[in-house]
Amino acid sequence: MLNRMLLIRGLFCIITLFASNAFAGQDDPWLMLQKASQAARELSYKGVFVYQSGNASKSVQLTHMNYGQGEYARMVVLDGQPREVLSQGSDVAIYSPKNEKIMIEKKRGQNMFPALLPSNISALKSSYQAKNSGTERIGGRDAFVINLSPRDQMRYGYKFWLDKEYGLLLKTMTVSDHGDGLEQIAFSQLTLMDDQSMDWFKPKFDPSKSYEMDQDGPAKATDSDMDWDVAQLPTGYRKVDQVKQPLQGKSGLMTQMIFSDGLASISVFIEPIVKGVRPKVGHAVVGATHFYGLVADNHQIMVVGEVPENAVMQFANTVNFKDKK
Amino acid sequence: MKEKISALMDGDLALEDAEYLMTALKTNGEAAKSWDAYHLIGDVMRGSNVLTPGMTSRVMQEIAKQPVVIAPKARLLRNTTNLWSMAASVAAIFFVSLVIMHQQTQEAKNAPIEIAQNVPSEYLLAHQSMSPSNTAYFIQSASFIQDK
Repeated sequence: MLNRMLLIRGLFCIITLFASNAFAGQDDPWLMLQKASQAARELSYKGVFVYQSGNASKSVQLTHMNYGQGEYARMVVLDGQPREVLSQGSDVAIYSPKNEKIMIEKKRGQNMFPALLPSNISALKSSYQAKNSGTERIGGRDAFVINLSPRDQMRYGYKFWLDKEYGLLLKTMTVSDHGDGLEQIAFSQLTLMDDQSMDWFKPKFDPSKSYEMDQDGPAKATDSDMDWDVAQLPTGYRKVDQVKQPLQGKSGLMTQMIFSDGLASISVFIEPIVKGVRPKVGHAVVGATHFYGLVADNHQIMVVGEVPENAVMQFANTVNFKDKK
Repeated sequence: MKEKISALMDGDLALEDAEYLMTALKTNGEAAKSWDAYHLIGDVMRGSNVLTPGMTSRVMQEIAKQPVVIAPKARLLRNTTNLWSMAASVAAIFFVSLVIMHQQTQEAKNAPIEIAQNVPSEYLLAHQSMSPSNTAYFIQSASFIQDK
């Protein structure tokens, strides 16, 4: 009797497995996220999105074009200080007025909304669990909702709304372990473009103002610049970059390592403590960003990231100074 | 003449009518002294401590004329001992507080700042600028950064 029950259960399990495999192509949340990552880079679209973090909120006009000759994008910040971002491939230029000049900051490309998801989605699987959670309407468009919940306390969860028709990311929300939304970016309006004109691809600032390149910024650091490392990286995190810059008005270097699990990122800053400068210690939080500072081995350690308090604390506490030879 | 000077000081005599008086004040020693004396009287009556220059030198001369007492009286001596001990304690307190204050300022100079009250936004910008996924940097959305 018992054996027969087990047999029936086993058969039932096999049937459900078959059924879920048959639908995997359409319903697999990881595949949908992979599609969203591609759509954000390959489609041509324009719209307005709203960024909200803590009490701050800003609207941004976005135009993105890719007709097979690479990506061109322009973001215009509509609220507060005027600011424009133009990007071509991985080259980004940020235009912002400062006094009577327009400052231009050139930098390496980052994943910007709606292309926030990494190209290699499977790298997220060790850190997050993905789950479909129904449909919703965002900015006049129908969307699938996907929940990404963290496998440990070293990162937040995320919620993604993906356009049913184009697969494009329409909205993203960073979610705390209590389920509260901490930060969100969402299209309030979005249309696909079929116009190939490039007239829009230029900054719209007063042409009578002079332009100035912003020279400040950190330089790439080599391994020999770093006399420390983070001893135990939590699952999923890897070092993505390391930079150095001179301490303002003092001798010595501030070094920075950047770690990422594909979505969440954490910076660890280390600088020697200079006489007369008060070290910064303790914990602070703004929106989804946590800060944790401490002093070790006569160095100021500061960890900053869009991750829970646990994570910044763990990174700060596992900084390991190499023996000086 | 003196009545005229007094009237001028009180504002009862118009300046236009006092041209000859001003000349007299500048040349005549007698008139100038009266001018000084009346001002001194006025100052004293008003309780003001401002003394005229002539007065000051006279007071100094009077003081110089006084004999210098080198040996104080016995009764005074007792008081002075008290004064000395008081002075010593005051000095001690002053010295100790000076040391404490110095230590405190030294400590304040090196005392750590709690970042909860003072969010280190310079680190936030550097972080956002370098992290692989960050829309916030391009928008510069954090409200506390704009205040800087």
